Amino acid sequence: MTTSTVTPQRQRRASAQLPSTRTLLLKIAMLAIVDAAAVFAMTLLFFQENWLVLGIAAAVTLLVNWIYLSPGVLPAKYLTPGLIFLGVFQVFVILYTLYIAFTNYGDGHNSTKDDAIAAIVLQNTERVEGSPVYQVQVVEGLGGLGLLATSPDGEALVGTAEEPLAPLDPAAVTFDGGRATAAEGWTSLGLQDILQRQQAIADLQVPLSDELEDGFLRTSNAVQGFVFQSVFVYDEAADTMTDTTTGIVYSDLGNGQFETEDGQVLGTGWQILVGFENFLYPFENPRYGEALGAVALWTFAFAILSVALSFVLGLFLAITFNDDRMRSRKAYRLVMILPYAFPSFLAALVWLGLLNAQFGFVNEALFGSADIPWLTDPWLAKLSVLIVNVWLGFPYMFLICLGALQSIPEELTEAATVDGANGWQVFQGIKFPLLLVSTAPLLISSFAFNFNNFNTIYMLTTGGPRISGLSENVGHTDLLITLVYKTAFEAGTGRDYGLASALAILIFIVIATISAIAFRQTKALEDLN
Amino acid sequence: MTADKPISVLGLEGPPIDDSAAEGRPPHVAPKMPFRRWVRELGWRHLVGIVVGLFAVFPLVYVLSASFNPGGTLTGSNVLFRSFSLDNYVALLNDPARPYAAWYANTMLIGLITAACTVFLGALAAYSFSRMRFTGRRVGLLSLILVQMFPQMLAVVAIYVLMRGISEVFPAIGLDTQIGLILIYLGGALGVNTYLMYGFFNTVPASIDEAAKIDGAGHARIFFTIILRLVAPILAVIGLLSFIGTTSEFVIASVILQSPEKLTLAVGLYRFVSDETNTNYPIFAAGAVLAAIPVMVLFLWLQKYIVGGLTAGAVK
Amino acid sequence: MKHSSLMKVAGVGALALTLAACSGGGTPAPAPSASETAAAPGGGGELVIWMDQNRADALTDVIATFEEETGTTVEVVIKEFGSIRDDLTTQAPSGEGPDVVLGAHDWIGKLVQNGVVAPVELGDATADFQEVSIEAMTYEGAVYGVPVSIENIALVRNTALAPEAPASWDDMVATGQAAVAAGEAEFPFLIGIDPNTSDPYHLFPLQASFGGPLFGQNEDGSYNADDLQIGNEGNLEFARALGEWGAAGLINPNISGDIAKEQFAAGASPYTITGPWNLSAFQDAGIEYAISEIPAPGSQPATPFVGVQGFMQSAYSENPIVASQFLTEYVASEEAQTAIFEGGQRAPALTASYEAAQSDPDVAAFGEVGASGLPMPNIPAMDAVWGDWGTTQIQIITGQGDPTQLWTDMATKIQSTIGG
Repeated sequence: MTTSTVTPQRQRRASAQLPSTRTLLLKIAMLAIVDAAAVFAMTLLFFQENWLVLGIAAAVTLLVNWIYLSPGVLPAKYLTPGLIFLGVFQVFVILYTLYIAFTNYGDGHNSTKDDAIAAIVLQNTERVEGSPVYQVQVVEGLGGLGLLATSPDGEALVGTAEEPLAPLDPAAVTFDGGRATAAEGWTSLGLQDILQRQQAIADLQVPLSDELEDGFLRTSNAVQGFVFQSVFVYDEAADTMTDTTTGIVYSDLGNGQFETEDGQVLGTGWQILVGFENFLYPFENPRYGEALGAVALWTFAFAILSVALSFVLGLFLAITFNDDRMRSRKAYRLVMILPYAFPSFLAALVWLGLLNAQFGFVNEALFGSADIPWLTDPWLAKLSVLIVNVWLGFPYMFLICLGALQSIPEELTEAATVDGANGWQVFQGIKFPLLLVSTAPLLISSFAFNFNNFNTIYMLTTGGPRISGLSENVGHTDLLITLVYKTAFEAGTGRDYGLASALAILIFIVIATISAIAFRQTKALEDLN
Repeated sequence: MTADKPISVLGLEGPPIDDSAAEGRPPHVAPKMPFRRWVRELGWRHLVGIVVGLFAVFPLVYVLSASFNPGGTLTGSNVLFRSFSLDNYVALLNDPARPYAAWYANTMLIGLITAACTVFLGALAAYSFSRMRFTGRRVGLLSLILVQMFPQMLAVVAIYVLMRGISEVFPAIGLDTQIGLILIYLGGALGVNTYLMYGFFNTVPASIDEAAKIDGAGHARIFFTIILRLVAPILAVIGLLSFIGTTSEFVIASVILQSPEKLTLAVGLYRFVSDETNTNYPIFAAGAVLAAIPVMVLFLWLQKYIVGGLTAGAVK
Repeated sequence: MKHSSLMKVAGVGALALTLAACSGGGTPAPAPSASETAAAPGGGGELVIWMDQNRADALTDVIATFEEETGTTVEVVIKEFGSIRDDLTTQAPSGEGPDVVLGAHDWIGKLVQNGVVAPVELGDATADFQEVSIEAMTYEGAVYGVPVSIENIALVRNTALAPEAPASWDDMVATGQAAVAAGEAEFPFLIGIDPNTSDPYHLFPLQASFGGPLFGQNEDGSYNADDLQIGNEGNLEFARALGEWGAAGLINPNISGDIAKEQFAAGASPYTITGPWNLSAFQDAGIEYAISEIPAPGSQPATPFVGVQGFMQSAYSENPIVASQFLTEYVASEEAQTAIFEGGQRAPALTASYEAAQSDPDVAAFGEVGASGLPMPNIPAMDAVWGDWGTTQIQIITGQGDPTQLWTDMATKIQSTIGG
């Protein structure tokens, strides 16, 4: 290393030298590409009138340009690419989930109020009993789109949305094999035009007569028309939906659906904001509350035990194969790693088959056809799930410990041995603490991962043998996350994304807090070192 | 503590790494040991290796045997290697409706690109955390790790909405595109992996940076030409971990990818066994065996980096 | 210094604008992308259909004909059957959804609740379909799709082990146990269930024979969500019987659907209760089988659920006319119905094709068994039933409590979930 006698000022000037022209050109080119893409996107957004996203895109682009064109702000230059991806694909996702948590999005509240109204009316449009089938031709006249209809007895009628069907003078009508295809004063639409205006044509309702009760003519394939009657009528002024057959009036009472005072509800509703309702669910719902305690306890136990057991196993193996006198340790190492190389959900399915109480390999071949209920007995199920998780996770721990052991300097061990410590004391006093310090963050992340390890549990036991005595459908191996999944999606009231999002956020807060605290502890450990 | 010691990143293929070798003394060669001592010192290690090895390997052997057995479920093949035929593999590769080869290529492509980009983005971030001092540095690193703890499978709706929005502006990177999927995976690039790299970067002495600066190199050049080469081992490790994580990811891939020829292995293979009235476990087993091979090969190749690379830097 | 930063900014700006201008020239002028999908300028419209792999294979010819005759471009998207319902619900309101999907009839209640399917008016053609198929596709008086296939389970027996159809439930059990005792079989009969969630669908015929419906029926045959019958006396009898069978090992939660299929194909049992989808596996294994009705353990016939699949139209479709045409003229035609039947093993829904399909003895046999069956309820209230129904059955089978008590608790819980 050169001893530097250069003054700080000279150093600064040296590092502030202009980069070579080639680097400069490269930087300008890349920035230009990014800007071009941004401008392109912003133009599209402008025409889509999506102001919010446009604003954000503009702000971000300006910021990125400023970061890379200013001379300083080095950290930002290095962090920006990663942070942009993080921001868009992770942070935004979290924020949007937070937004959904405040709504009641889910089955029965799938879209907007207008969509719901349209859907209710559409679903409750009945064909009038015994009404004839008309052959129709879509036409256009001064009054807009219309239907040129031929009744079963050959009469030609025409009407629009405003004007009821009126018979036409046969002389003014062109027939093609019994079907009226053109009329004077009306332009018949060809196939292309029909295709261009499909939605308008499908929505077209031509009243049969001046009497509303007679219904209206509507076509769904531009060839045949049927007479329909709207059972449900929406009154825009009063914001009510009326069932004309029963006379019941449903109004919007602010719950995202049409309902009556005494609780009758129309199934199709819409999304609304519901405030903190979803977040308060676990606290307000007593049935859920009973299940919550047991499941939370198991979740912590599962995560902690998984990490601890795989760490212990991994560490033990690392120590075992750290001895350079073993010549075949490379081969053993390869074999130890194999479970990690196999996609985890495939492994879960395989274990599911292996642990089948009657036909599984484990029982048949290893236990001599015993009928051990690995996945259906409450405690054995917990054990099985742990074993599978350790099987999946110990290779990762093995790798980490192997690396960590390599990096503990020999001098420390030698010094301790010289001082008279034996193997175990060396391990306990020196290696293990150092090991813990270096692997602590990985262990914490592993804990967080297993806390939310949905796939393994769900594939093996779908939450496990049901806990008897609880009215909720909760199992012995359910984690908080599988419980959320079941509550939000399988509770029998339909899929409730709002609730799922709120509960996911609550879990996130819990796990993030615990991890943050744990990290603080390891920082303290490091400082002590 | 180990600032002056050169980083030993070579694996244990060469002469044993101990200080005697580093300081020039002749390498220590173990004389043949008496049997009892052998058992005490080494024999038990072999025993452990065999036992744990069997535990690690038998499900995989089981899948292998099931893949050679046409007809049957994953539970029916209890006599290992009862029959041997390549029918399943042939059927797997010849199904026009389920282009396994395309899935394979997709998964490799997505995995490798994601791994490369993750490594690059992570290295950039780790470098800045390691070398630069700025406000929010500690909190920043911690929050990166915490943000990644959000249970993604419940955020599926949000991801779908996001990708749909992107499709409206840039259809080429939106829904049902592999690039879109890669972008989502890159959202997870900064996280625990960054911490691992940060630890390793810390072991590269700052004096190297200073020497280069005095010689007139700009920060970018220092980073790309000098530092990256020195931290190659940890890059290899993170690349492998990212590759493994990407190739076994299933939930997001099944939301984003739709067309049969764009699926990844995880999504495609799952379809073999997900429709109750149409399960095909033997072919699924064959597909799973083939799917595991590239990861194993990659791992073998990168093994030497991994052993030395993972936490060598974290212990100061 | 200042110079160089200015220059940098200028350079970037100029390049960026040039690039943007070049690419901007290529984009269509201010037309939002959404409306572009409505009508292709050159062809005769577009249609996006979601199907699973099996049906897509069977329908390629029909779709080709449709494309030729109408000039429409049809895009078939292969999806996993189980995910079609939820994906349609999520994606349709955004306008990015399909125009037509293939689905199961019991999805209809949920789809209507979410406002994503549109009623289909078949007109007089309604009479051309098997009554049960139209009934299945009907919800609250409107028909929501064109049915294409009908399926139900029945008793499949291995004629080598059981040459004659059993006269009664006890007869079947006795024959089965005799075969086991004689060493010819390993199981008296096979019925595949999941160890945690059971399989209420496969066990339903047995439940029905005790007089245990799920919901009461309205006059028009549809299910009345307000009339939960699952807790009635007939069902309680079934619960008790289930407990006995579980204790006797007749119904074994370790035998999954796959295992049951495999074991029957290996000749390990004389009887199994399954559907037409497994027949090819049995044929491949060389089993000689015969299909008959499921013997009734109770006093009433063991009628299975009838499942109907059909094509439905999205309420958010931007091509409603074309979609309607496709459904009413092509899917409902004999060619399409026969093609789908030949591609899979389920009976077609159109009566003309159904009659023609009767020449296939398996189809005829399954059809006979299902003739008196009722469609699975398609009302949204069914959601509240499935989960607890299954797990309670497992609890009863594994003897985790008094069957009557468990079943009654389940009924109470379901009632309160439905009641809200």
